[in-house]
Amino acid sequence: MNPLIFTTILMTVLLGTMIVMMSSHWLMIWIGFEMNLLAIIPILMKKYNPRTMEASTKYFLTQATASMLLMMAIIINLMHSGQWTITKVFNPTASIIMTSALAMKLGLTPFHFWVPEVTQGISLTSGLILLTWQKLAPMSILYQISPSINLNILLTMAVLSILVGGWGGLNQTQLRKIMAYSSIAHMGWMTAVLVYNPTLTMLNMLIYIMMTLTMFMLFIHSSSTTTLSLSHTWNKTPLTTTLILITLLSMGGLPPLSGFMPKWMIIQELTKNNSIILPTLMAIMALLNLYFYMRLTYSTSLTMFPSTNNMKMKWQFETKRITLLPPLIVMSSLLLPLTPMLSILD
Amino acid sequence: MMTYIVFILSVIFVVSFVGFSSKPSPIYGGLVLIVSGGVGCGIIMNFGGSFLGLMVFLIYLGGMLVVFGYTTAMATEQYPEVWVSNTTVMGVFLLGLLMEVMLVLYVLKSEEVGVVFKFSGVGDWAIYDIGDSGVFSEEIMGVAALYSYGAWVVIVTGWSLFVGVLVILEVTRGD
Repeated sequence: MNPLIFTTILMTVLLGTMIVMMSSHWLMIWIGFEMNLLAIIPILMKKYNPRTMEASTKYFLTQATASMLLMMAIIINLMHSGQWTITKVFNPTASIIMTSALAMKLGLTPFHFWVPEVTQGISLTSGLILLTWQKLAPMSILYQISPSINLNILLTMAVLSILVGGWGGLNQTQLRKIMAYSSIAHMGWMTAVLVYNPTLTMLNMLIYIMMTLTMFMLFIHSSSTTTLSLSHTWNKTPLTTTLILITLLSMGGLPPLSGFMPKWMIIQELTKNNSIILPTLMAIMALLNLYFYMRLTYSTSLTMFPSTNNMKMKWQFETKRITLLPPLIVMSSLLLPLTPMLSILD
Repeated sequence: MMTYIVFILSVIFVVSFVGFSSKPSPIYGGLVLIVSGGVGCGIIMNFGGSFLGLMVFLIYLGGMLVVFGYTTAMATEQYPEVWVSNTTVMGVFLLGLLMEVMLVLYVLKSEEVGVVFKFSGVGDWAIYDIGDSGVFSEEIMGVAALYSYGAWVVIVTGWSLFVGVLVILEVTRGD
């Protein structure tokens, strides 16, 4: 793609999310979502083959439907409250429709079906933008309307997402699909605590983005999109192998790594609100997530996966330079002692 | 006849919607879209929104639909599908037409015939007053306000349209 046009389109994606996050008028928020969607389609289609075209079509269709539902909720809200500012949504019908629309944009169950298919069809860098930056805008709107969200619907979607994210990722060997199911599960954790303490949602989003950025950059560094090719990293860059181990365990939520921090805080917040069965169920279902991360670490870092003999003596071509990878790795694994600082997120 | 003009226009509106929803070739879809757009303008004008109706005629029909017509004419096939050429298309069109006929009969003859299912009245779908003060029209003032207080909206929508063109060119360019 022409570099000037690519830069313009990338800046428009950023501008779209910025408009969503800083507008106080519902119509501008909708315009921001549409601008974001329109500009990310050519980024998803950077490589020109039928699979990327199919993936971007699926993404466009689901997100456009979600934007239409959002517009309907905005208009119902206008009809019942007479004003366009975002404070809270005044009508329960509008609130339910808006929550469903934002859940479709995030990829929560039962609207999660597009996430693995779209993530699998696009390149690793586009998948990175899709799974991290595109979650910021809907989550910011959910944060702003959180006082008026119907708890039953949101909690049902959250718990089902954690289940589907864990269960669906079990049979996958393609790394992008594994990251997609991991994204579904993490979105479930984030929305579960949204009504109780939205600051923890933001904390979880921050840590999730750091860990997902790290994982994707490690995959880009070793140019691997399947478990099999990831298992050859011990030969290419042995250091990456160790780092994959640490980051994956952090994504699984194991102490003393930073991925434990959001899960711990969320479970604590839920138990403070007298729900005990729910966080227990959520923690048990997070084990499914941990299982397929552990399977990745088993084949990558802990054992030598069976391969032909000439794969064991690879010629070292020039390695890619990934900016910001070391700080990201450090941040996604060692942040746990900084937990008391999360009060700055208020 | 004049008292029923809105009703007649709305019937033509729905029939043309059925006409393009039954998916003939885009050229014929554009044709009934023009008809439905014009008739829709007529409905709006009958309720007093003269500015809005004229805007739709000018911008929608005279701008966007013309561009759509030209691009469709460039990309059309040798034997485009009409409503009677394909069984499926004709079936959908006749089904929509049948439903509209049933609805018209319901509206016209609901006193003489016993109806099982009743609509609950206009309710929340009542048209809000345009709030004319009578001295100046609120809609024209709205356009003026768009360019003064609403400068940010103009910038954002203008940028979206520009990026829309870039995106379309990029997507259809291929390799």
